[in-house]
Amino acid sequence: MENIISIKDVTYTYPEAKRPAINGLSLDIYRNEWLSIVGKNGSGKSTLAKLIDGLIESETGSIIVDGQEVNEKNIWEIRSKIGIVFQNPDHQFVGATVEDDVAFGLENQGIPRDEMVKEVDAALKMVDMQDYKTRDPQSLSGGQKQRVAIAGVLATKPSIIIMDESTSMLDPNGRKTVLNLVKQLREEQNMTIISITHDIEETELSERIVILRDGEVVQKASPKTIYDMGHKLTNYGLEEPFSSQVAYLLKDELKLPEGYLNEEELIENIWKLSSKI
Amino acid sequence: MNKLIIGRYLPGDSIIYRLDPRGKFLITFYFIGIVFLANNVASYGFLLLFVLFAVYISKINLGFFIKGLRPMLWLILFTVLLQLFFTPSDNPMWHWGIFTLSTDGMRIAAYIFIRFVLIIFISTLLTLTTTPIEISDSIESILKPLKVIKFPVTQVALMLSIALRFVPLLIDETTKIMDAQRARGVDFGEGGIMQRIKSFVPILIPLFVSSFSIAYDLAIAMESRGYKDGEGRSKYRVLSWSKRDYMSLIVMLLITIILLFIRSY
Repeated sequence: MENIISIKDVTYTYPEAKRPAINGLSLDIYRNEWLSIVGKNGSGKSTLAKLIDGLIESETGSIIVDGQEVNEKNIWEIRSKIGIVFQNPDHQFVGATVEDDVAFGLENQGIPRDEMVKEVDAALKMVDMQDYKTRDPQSLSGGQKQRVAIAGVLATKPSIIIMDESTSMLDPNGRKTVLNLVKQLREEQNMTIISITHDIEETELSERIVILRDGEVVQKASPKTIYDMGHKLTNYGLEEPFSSQVAYLLKDELKLPEGYLNEEELIENIWKLSSKI
Repeated sequence: MNKLIIGRYLPGDSIIYRLDPRGKFLITFYFIGIVFLANNVASYGFLLLFVLFAVYISKINLGFFIKGLRPMLWLILFTVLLQLFFTPSDNPMWHWGIFTLSTDGMRIAAYIFIRFVLIIFISTLLTLTTTPIEISDSIESILKPLKVIKFPVTQVALMLSIALRFVPLLIDETTKIMDAQRARGVDFGEGGIMQRIKSFVPILIPLFVSSFSIAYDLAIAMESRGYKDGEGRSKYRVLSWSKRDYMSLIVMLLITIILLFIRSY
C-alpha cells in the first residue's frame, strides 16, 4: 500500500508544558485508508492533527504528506490537500450563511465566482444540505452544522480528511449520519480519512486503529484485533466496547466463542444459547 | 434585547429590499446630509412626504419605525424642549426668568423634531431592509478607494463580517453564562447600582475568556482552510448594480433639485 502520510520520529512540546505532547512518534498512513486515532484526553491526538496540517511546527523528525515535506515553503499546498473538520462546529464557521461558509475555502484559492457557485452546490448536495443554502449557520442543529462544515472541507476537494472529534458533540443519530457520509465519501471520492476520537465505538467503520498514550503510539491494529483486547483496553485509558463488556459479564453463565463479537453477533449467540434449553 | 430595533434586519421582499446595498448605504448618508438643507415648512414637509413614501413602498409596518424612535426619545425631548424655551425672540408670547416661549422657538422646535424623525426613519429603513452582511459588503466596496493609501480594506471587511457572525454566538454564550451563574445563586438586576455592576463580573469574565477561545479556534479553522491574508482571494458574494439602482440615484438628484428650489422660494 502506498503511503500518503509518513510521520517519522516527531516530537512536539507545547510552550510552558513540562512533557512533550507528541514524543518521538512515527506512523505511516496509507492512501484511501480510514484510520482511527484513539486515546484518552491529553494523549496528543489533536496535536498530531495540527502537526500534519502544519498548524504547529514539530521540533524533531519529519512529516511527509503526499510526497511533500511539511515546511514553511510547502505549507499552503499541503493545506489545500488536507481538510480538517473540528470538534465544535460553532467555532469554525466564517460565513454568515451556509453557502458563504462553504465557499470560504474556495475564495482563499482564488477560484472564479461561476465555478464557485457550482462547487458550493455540489458540495452541499453531497452532504444533503442544499435546501439550507441561505440559512444562518446559527439556526441549524448540531448535526446539520457539522454537515455544513464537512461540505466546506469537501468543496476544496482535499485528498485527506481529518475529523478531529467531529462527532463528539452530536447525538447518536447525528453521529451515525456523519459517519455514514464519511464512509460513502471515502468509497466514492477515493479519500483518505483520519478520524480522531476518544470513543472506541466510533471506530467500527475504520480499517485500522492507532492507540496513542502520552504522545506515543502504543498499539496499531485492525479494529477486530483491538476489540479482542477487551478488558485490556482500560490499560490505555479507553473504555471497552459495550458488547465486549456484556460478553465479559456473561462469560461465567454462558459459553461464548472466543474473540470480539459486535452487538449483532452477540445477540445472535445469546439467541442460540437460549434456544437449546 | 428584542425591543431594540436599531441594527435589526427584518426579512421581507419589496423594491427597497432589492436595491443594491451600496446604493442604499450611500443614499442614506446623502439624505442625512441634505436634511440640513431644509429651512422652511414646505421643504420639511416635502422631505417628510418623501420618507413616508419610502416607508410605504418598503411594505414595512410604520410601527417598527416608531419603535426605532424610542431609544432616542430622551434626546429628542431634551433638544426640542431646549429649542422651545431658549430661542431668543423679540416678541415672546411668554416670559419667565431665563425661559422664553415664542412662535419662532416653536417653529424651530418643530423643525428639530421633524429632523430627528427624518434621520431616524431613514436609517431604520436602511437597517431593516439590509442584512448585516450586505452592509459590511457595501462598506468594503465603498472603502475600496482607500487601498491607494494602503488601508487594509479586505482585512477590515473580513473583520466586520466575522464580528457580525459573532454577535448571535456571543448572545447565546451570554444567556448560557447568565443561566449558569443564576443556577449558582447570582441575582441579576437586583439591589443598588453598585450591586448590579458587581453582579456583571461573573458574566463578563467568562465571556471574555470564551470569546478568546472561540477566536483561537476560528483562526485555526480559517488557517486550515487556506486563509492567508486576504490578498488574492476571490469573492463568492457579489453585488450587482441594476437599472433600479440608477433610478434611485436619479430620484435623489431630483429631490436635491426640488429641495434647493423650495429652499430659496
